[in-house]
Amino acid sequence: MGKTTIEKIISRASGKDVKPGDRVWCDIDISSARDFAGPNCCLQFEEVTEGRGKVWDPDKIAFTFDLQAPSHTEKVSNNQKIIREFAKQQGIEKVFDINWGIGQHVMLENGVVKPGHVVLGTDSHMNLLGGAGIFATGVGNTDIVASWILGKLWFRVPETDRITVTGEFQTGVCMRDFLTFLVGNLKADGLLYKAAEFYGPVIERSSLAERITLCSMITEMSGKIGLIQPNGEVLQWLVERGGEDVRESVEFMKADKDAIYCEDLHFDVSDLEPLVSAPHAPDNVKKVSEVAGTKLDQVHIGSCTNGRFEDITAAFNVLKAADFKINPMTRCIITPATREVMSQCAKAGYIEKFIDAGIVFTNPTCSLCTAQHYGALPSDDVGMSTTNRNFLGKVGKGSSTFLASPMTAMASAVRGMITDPRDILG
Amino acid sequence: MKVKGKVWKYGDDVNTDVIFPGKYTYTVLDPAEMGKYALEDLDPEFARKAQPGDVIVAGKNWGCGSSREQAATCLTSLKVGAVVAKSFARIFYRNAINQGLPVIQSPAAVDSIEAGEQIEIDFENGLIRTDQGKEFAFAPIPEYVRGILQDGGLVEHIRKSLGLE
Repeated sequence: MGKTTIEKIISRASGKDVKPGDRVWCDIDISSARDFAGPNCCLQFEEVTEGRGKVWDPDKIAFTFDLQAPSHTEKVSNNQKIIREFAKQQGIEKVFDINWGIGQHVMLENGVVKPGHVVLGTDSHMNLLGGAGIFATGVGNTDIVASWILGKLWFRVPETDRITVTGEFQTGVCMRDFLTFLVGNLKADGLLYKAAEFYGPVIERSSLAERITLCSMITEMSGKIGLIQPNGEVLQWLVERGGEDVRESVEFMKADKDAIYCEDLHFDVSDLEPLVSAPHAPDNVKKVSEVAGTKLDQVHIGSCTNGRFEDITAAFNVLKAADFKINPMTRCIITPATREVMSQCAKAGYIEKFIDAGIVFTNPTCSLCTAQHYGALPSDDVGMSTTNRNFLGKVGKGSSTFLASPMTAMASAVRGMITDPRDILG
Repeated sequence: MKVKGKVWKYGDDVNTDVIFPGKYTYTVLDPAEMGKYALEDLDPEFARKAQPGDVIVAGKNWGCGSSREQAATCLTSLKVGAVVAKSFARIFYRNAINQGLPVIQSPAAVDSIEAGEQIEIDFENGLIRTDQGKEFAFAPIPEYVRGILQDGGLVEHIRKSLGLE
């Protein structure tokens, strides 16, 4: 019987011939933790092993400091220090401190995680790495500690849906809009426990940034992972970062022709319009035209979902079309995903233009994903963001957030109200 | 392995912020303390009145949202016997098992069991029985998961395998 991509990856990592529903122990390639849950993982590891334990393989553990970078409270500063000291003591060298950016992106850029890998992290959006053909998943502290001791973790092999995407995006419409459409269509539990594989011409010609966006909200549909087979320029980029063995892994993970899929879904993007997730759920999807004119207090562009150079370029082009002016009554914050992205923005001359327009351009972090970070919304404020969750109170008690694409977000910052980017791009 | 207790019933999509509010994740670090805040915004009675062995019966997608493990820990802190739901968010499902909290998927049981009923769950035989005499079968918990639950969670399971117990 043929296998889907996730079945192939789990078969290899477990040494077993698996089928959906099986529960197996998999070898872990990278087990990571970030500055949020990481300190507790370190403390729990010490407790479980009574201070005598060595991690199973220091080369397969990574730490990323992305949620509060740089730290803005003494409590967090001290927590971050727990990680630094644990890493030193255990001989863990993959420590991406406050100057690097969002963990998944940093690990991908630096070849730490590669196609075909099984990767863990203390972030429910680890699975965006599926956009590069990596089986990455968010887990709790205990799972992380177990993996540091055993080098393995248990998984249930998921069923897989096949999603084929055809057509061409209109001007002002992009992969984020398709993702928003998908979340609204499949709803919060539409992919429960499942994996998805994405195919079709829209996927095959998409950039890595678009693939990351598409796979970053599988969690919002209760799925385990969305996977895309690396090809073309994306494959070339991954080989440059991860080495020649990436080609072999990519060949290995290809789904068999006779693989069995749970559901086969087809979507065409040609008639798609700019969309938003209205407050207070990602699957509360509306057309921008339905909510256009809603006044916005703040616009935020960035995050693990839409914080790459291509995303910021899309926002820049909208700003350019508006003669580099935003509405002075709306606060606008842009946060690149990593320092590599920040450097690309600097070289392209974007940062100066953003600053001149009165936009706050920050260092790379997860930024406004939670109310724990700078830019938290005060009560009754209405914001727009390119992040991936808009649950009630997520970025400030009593506030509301619309989720949108970088183009829609920038168009809305320009006018100070929810705006269809096509009104500005023409 | 059996549990017996009163049913606390809730709806669909109860997220981790509702089970254990995010504002406590930085400040309440002692697992024994976490129970006090369990389901605080949804049902203030729960943390005050739940007895060891009581069972939560809920709709679909219980525990959606963040990966925070406290959402499971706050329930084990109150010695909740099990959570029976139509479906679970996958990270919660993992965290629950790793904390030694049995999770059972049974849409039929959820549709039929009412708040306040007394129920008994027999894990070996995969059976839920109510004091009204209703019975619901569920897929028995896989053996290796039962091993983790019997040891009281993944940490204890590992400590055993390391010979620390």
